[in-house]
Amino acid sequence: MAVDVGAPYATRVRQALADDGMRTALDRATGHLKERRDRAMAEIDERRLRDEAGAVRRYAIERLPDLLEQLEANLIANGCHVHWARDAAEAVGVVLEIAREHEVGDVVKSKSMVTEEIGLNEALERSGIDVVETDLGEFIVQLAGESPSHILAPVIHKRVEDIAEIFRIRLNTPRTTSPAALCAAARRELRNEFLVADMGISGCNFAIAETGTICVITNEGNGRMVTSLPRVYVAIAGIEKVVRSAEDAVLLWQAATRNATGQNVSVYFSMSSGPRRRGDTDGPEEMHVILLDNGRSRILERGYADAALCIRCGACIDICPVYREIGGHAYGRTPYSGPIGAVLTPLLDYDIHAARDLPFASSLCGACRDVCPVKIDLPRLLLDLRSVVVERGASPVGERAAIRAYSTVMRRPAPYRALARLAGWLGPLAGLLPPLSTWKRDRGLPRFAARRFGALWRERVRDEEGAAG
Amino acid sequence: MTYDSTEARGAILARLRHTLAGPRPIFRDRSEPSAPPTVPTAVTRADGDRRSLAKQFGAQLAEISGSYEILEDAAEAGERLVQLVKEWSAEMGAGAGEVPEVLSWAARALPGENLAGFLEESGISFFVPEDLHDESTRARAARAKVGLTGADAAFASTGSIVVASGRGRSRAASLLPLRHLVLLPMSRIYPTFEDWLHTLRQDQALGSYLRVSGQIVFITGPSKSADIELNITLGVHGPRAVHALIFDDAW
Amino acid sequence: MTDNSTTRPRVALFVTCMVDTLQPGVGTAAAELLERHGVDVIFPEKQTCCGQPAYNAGYRKDAQVMARHFVDVFWPLVDEGSIDAIVAPSGSCVAMVKLQYPILFEATDEGYHWRAIQLGEVTYELTQYLVDFLGVLDTGAEFSGKIAYHPCCHLLRELRIDTQPRRLLAAMRDAEIVDLQGADECCGFGGLFALKNAEISTAMGRRKAHNLVASGAELVVMNDVSCMTHLNGILEHEGHSCRAVHIADLLNRRSESDGG
Ligand code: SF4
Repeated sequence: MAVDVGAPYATRVRQALADDGMRTALDRATGHLKERRDRAMAEIDERRLRDEAGAVRRYAIERLPDLLEQLEANLIANGCHVHWARDAAEAVGVVLEIAREHEVGDVVKSKSMVTEEIGLNEALERSGIDVVETDLGEFIVQLAGESPSHILAPVIHKRVEDIAEIFRIRLNTPRTTSPAALCAAARRELRNEFLVADMGISGCNFAIAETGTICVITNEGNGRMVTSLPRVYVAIAGIEKVVRSAEDAVLLWQAATRNATGQNVSVYFSMSSGPRRRGDTDGPEEMHVILLDNGRSRILERGYADAALCIRCGACIDICPVYREIGGHAYGRTPYSGPIGAVLTPLLDYDIHAARDLPFASSLCGACRDVCPVKIDLPRLLLDLRSVVVERGASPVGERAAIRAYSTVMRRPAPYRALARLAGWLGPLAGLLPPLSTWKRDRGLPRFAARRFGALWRERVRDEEGAAG
Repeated sequence: MTYDSTEARGAILARLRHTLAGPRPIFRDRSEPSAPPTVPTAVTRADGDRRSLAKQFGAQLAEISGSYEILEDAAEAGERLVQLVKEWSAEMGAGAGEVPEVLSWAARALPGENLAGFLEESGISFFVPEDLHDESTRARAARAKVGLTGADAAFASTGSIVVASGRGRSRAASLLPLRHLVLLPMSRIYPTFEDWLHTLRQDQALGSYLRVSGQIVFITGPSKSADIELNITLGVHGPRAVHALIFDDAW
Repeated sequence: MTDNSTTRPRVALFVTCMVDTLQPGVGTAAAELLERHGVDVIFPEKQTCCGQPAYNAGYRKDAQVMARHFVDVFWPLVDEGSIDAIVAPSGSCVAMVKLQYPILFEATDEGYHWRAIQLGEVTYELTQYLVDFLGVLDTGAEFSGKIAYHPCCHLLRELRIDTQPRRLLAAMRDAEIVDLQGADECCGFGGLFALKNAEISTAMGRRKAHNLVASGAELVVMNDVSCMTHLNGILEHEGHSCRAVHIADLLNRRSESDGG
């Protein structure tokens, strides 16, 4: 059974945990990714890469408005159209307007989480425009009528058997579980789409302020198709994507791909600085760049600039033991899952109530912090977000009362001792009371000691004194 | 509310400026540096003379399912090129006497002196499209099984090449066909990305290099996907094979 | 081992509330280990909980109440110079004091902030103190059988303590230390996470248990009673014979002949 991303958190988690196929797929994939990453990082000076990548991102975020203005000026000088969008509605509106102007009927997209964030596909389709996702994983997800469950590997939640079945039903592909055959089928299917599409849409991995350049990372080459074949190309860039220079972009590109897949670099790194030049054989006739805020400036305003450093490498997701159990869809209607998703989703939503469960979907084990190439202290951000949930009164009433009672007991030794003694007397009966009744379902119960350490110690001291006297 | 890009721009920038002008440091860990190096440190490494760099480039490319040959000079590279195209078209079942068509960059955009004349007489048709937005041109380009390009630079430590779009240098040649042939003079092989960037930066040529072309692409091996249970499959959208013909252009 | 009373280090044992109420034996073992290596141990009886459960759940005000109490109990001892260090048989609670207290008090209370930083500097996890401070390489412990080591997350990734416990375990006589697949992956405890996200927590725990069974270990050793309780709950529920033990218990295990 698949996970219903629109269901409440507890339901999503339950559905995810019951989905054995998905859990098998996740297991196979995340273990593998981790191994590859470890191997690739051992080949280089990881510490230095992280230091420099972190510095590059911090530099950019500290100068965000200036760099954005520089980026804008250079994009325009390069012949691009630049649009600013405060929110999803504005961004979608701009895309629709461009599409209308050029009488666009078919759109090809390369994988972009920011377009998922703003619900672009649905909006285009509502306007009668055909949208085809061209990243293989995202294409499969689209065929299945689902949403991506991982920022880089959208279909990581499916086994090859599941994918074969989708191809058979939707594309009439002969029954096969050979990835190569499935891939070839997708190539045939999508090649034609690239050739006939009127508009290409991509996200943006980095935007170089100094030269007005939009960088797109892909392995498959769909990013190149989308940015090269259609007459109109639209890039949607979150405002935090800006970097100072080409050197910085190339550094981050290496950091991102090595961390994501263990490759030295991705197969393609496309740097678009505008439409086709006079006399060029190919390339778009028009290039538009949408600079999207959609909550990002608020993230900074609310003190979460650290989260804006993220370069979407996905490593924190792959290593997260919670993600491995529940997968991306359990994080809900958001393209961002895993630790970074648990941070970004509530922040982007702006409404803390809408995502109050996610910051708690972590055991705070810290594995994510250790792999993050820009050294975002994700557990700390999660802790801060938890405190915001509590401060806003959005935490469960029972929990609130229990914690209050706990802290009241713990602030003085006497009540604490009394309670410990009571628990010792109750012994196994304590398991009938919440919260231990929750604990008990799949776990043997902890047994409180009949006599706590403090009591034992006092006895010991008394004995020693007795012996001495 | 009607949308106004200028208004949106003002609002976004104002909020950012307001936040950044505040007294509080914006990042939690104040001990982390926020000054990136001006001269980037190479992430991967390679060194040695031109021959050795060529070999390292080839070895890296081979590592990621590409292939390469090292040839003595441009003439030899040209001969090998023709031979390869003929072999491949035979493999792909072209009939005898059929002229295989190569989607190519213009001769003047390819490296190697006198190569143009040689290729013209090879019996192979080199299709150099003028405008790929033209229906029939696009259809013809889409049929090509082999693409031929040069490269502005290449990197020994990763097996990557750089191609820039421009007049006579289609993006399609390195993208649409299943096989991509690259003519690569040794003099264009740099140890690392960073070495190349640094050279351009010092020559004050980096900015103009990036901006003069509509698109610069770094290509590192054949197109691949790992989306199906992390199985690597080649040629999902771009070429399934990237073959570098490296030749010595020292004189 | 020195027995010069003028230079004997004086340590205040911070047992943590979980050891105090669930596994008092671990506290005793910790005290004995320290004493056997020439330390004068005191136990400040007013100690309760460091406040981590509330802090990790987002209840900073409540956490502060407990953290203040902790500081009130231990600070005077440090201030008047009657102890040299605070030692706890827990990575997690030490991480709370050393790393989170300064954050907790940063914006709210200058005095406590300063004291918390001072306290943090003299607070140690047990094996860290034994190895790094006392220079212990071998506690003389024995165990005949296979053991696996599970590095608890906060110990490993917040305090960066890893070689110390491994070294002490490696020195144990007769014990065979087996490889544990995915050893550094979280066991799923995570404080309130174990209750708030009980199903995920137990799924993670079952994975750990599965790896433990595959490793062939009879005992899995760790430095936190919290993770240990969680894992034992899982192991028991799943019907496995492997059990989690606290490292202090194991390191304090000595044969009868040289005991005492
Ligand atoms: S938070 Fe760090 S590890 Fe996670 S996706 Fe972003 S950059 Fe990568």
